[in-house]
Amino acid sequence: MLLDTGYRAGPIAALRESVYRIGALAGHNTTIRLRDPGQMISYLVMPMVLMLVLKPLYVRAVEGGTTKVVTGLLVMFSVFAISIAGNAILAERTWKTWDRLRVSRAPAAELLLGKTLPIYLVMIVQQAILLGYGCLVIGLPIPGNIPLVLMSILIWAFTLLAIGALLAAIVRSHGELSVISDVGALTLSSLGGALVPLSLMPDWAQVAAHVSPGYWALEMLQAAVAGDTAGTLLPAAILLGIALISGAFAIRRLTRGWGRGGLL
Amino acid sequence: MLQAIDLVKRYGSVLALDGFSLSVAAGEIVGLVGHNGAGKTTFVEIVSYLIRQDSGHVTIDGRPPSASKGQVGVAPQHIALYPSITVREHLVLFGKLAGLRRTALDSAIEDLTVALRLGAFIDRKTAGLSGGQQRRVQAATALIHRPGLLLLDEPTAGADLETREAMLDVVKQRAGDGAAIVYTTHYLPELVELQATIAVARNGKIIARGTYDELVEGLPGEVCLIHDNEEEVRVSTTQPAATLIDLLSRAERPISTIEVHNPSLDDLYRSLAVSDAS
Repeated sequence: MLLDTGYRAGPIAALRESVYRIGALAGHNTTIRLRDPGQMISYLVMPMVLMLVLKPLYVRAVEGGTTKVVTGLLVMFSVFAISIAGNAILAERTWKTWDRLRVSRAPAAELLLGKTLPIYLVMIVQQAILLGYGCLVIGLPIPGNIPLVLMSILIWAFTLLAIGALLAAIVRSHGELSVISDVGALTLSSLGGALVPLSLMPDWAQVAAHVSPGYWALEMLQAAVAGDTAGTLLPAAILLGIALISGAFAIRRLTRGWGRGGLL
Repeated sequence: MLQAIDLVKRYGSVLALDGFSLSVAAGEIVGLVGHNGAGKTTFVEIVSYLIRQDSGHVTIDGRPPSASKGQVGVAPQHIALYPSITVREHLVLFGKLAGLRRTALDSAIEDLTVALRLGAFIDRKTAGLSGGQQRRVQAATALIHRPGLLLLDEPTAGADLETREAMLDVVKQRAGDGAAIVYTTHYLPELVELQATIAVARNGKIIARGTYDELVEGLPGEVCLIHDNEEEVRVSTTQPAATLIDLLSRAERPISTIEVHNPSLDDLYRSLAVSDAS
């Protein structure tokens, strides 16, 4: 006799089945993340060290230097974390496991949710820890509007996740992903004012900064930390737009598989 | 159970399937053989709903592949496992994705652990397993939910004897339970042992189908005698036993080696290629 898998028709039962499968995938992907935590640790420890070292420089150079050094390095190293998302998705291609999941009963949306939820959580935790560290160790004033800060973190992590998924969907190897995410992250976050305060950068760079998601992330986070709701919403909307476009492209590509081409 | 009719699939200028038709009944094992590029893997990918055919129809138990996800178990040709995850964790993942809950899942894992001899390494990460062990794990993930249709794409490629024995035993057992099985391989003896119907693919279509005996009937094997002075006598024959007796009775020198070759997959391909061309 073939097994009765317990699958039942009906919207409630279907939803329950869906949650069960997403839970299985998320648990599985969390295990994979926890067994290879190197990147996560790097992107947490490095900004902590740099915040300590660079704080005096920022404080002397610009007004609100403490806020700028904490949010700037948070943005820079959270951009680096794009490679965590990219590598996690691209690894499915290296291991040839993505097609095995696609054959299962789980539809593409569940596969992507199960894959990206743990990474999303990692990104949120990274940013929350860095902000907490900023308050407790670096001297960042404790934000008055915590929900606003939390919303900013959620939106920025979502944007990074979508960009990471997009990169994973279009690159042909881990080498390509590494080049694009590292060089791209450094360029975009620096251009956005994450490394050097924007006010100290040349005029052309201050104009060009507007094309960088890092710039909008900094604007959003600095406004959120200051409790400025109006100043938070515009950059938040722009980042959400970037995330939705990137995410839509990545989903379209990943649901069809990578095919047989490419370097991997 | 599985009906594929006149499938056509093109990759750019390459015609991978060119009118490929194959049916597999519940409880039947169909051994799909053919040289590399014959279209076997493309066919498996279409039935698995990983790729779409350009034309033609596929139904699984009367429904299209898109509506049959989860009813199919697929073990692809290449090893596709998570290196940092243990064998048990693989089985739990694929079992849960198929909808298995606690008791059914535990029971399925236990059954497969015994059937595919996974017990010695079930809590080890797959990165540290041998090729044969990985093959068994991969098959187990395809079998965990007892699917009605099994697609096993070269499941014993490069495998050791233990893996091969375990795999063939499980395939026979699942067919006995009513599963329809497509088993691609380059090893004809496996299909003979499975008592499979053999379907021969060539240039994107099935060019012959039948039992082993039906397909090799009339094909010549070879008898080879090597004398003590290393002189060889090779005779191509459709009656190896009678030919061997005849050669032995006429031998004038002591014989050091006797070799009898039954028709091979290559002989079958060659004969079919000739008949196909003519």
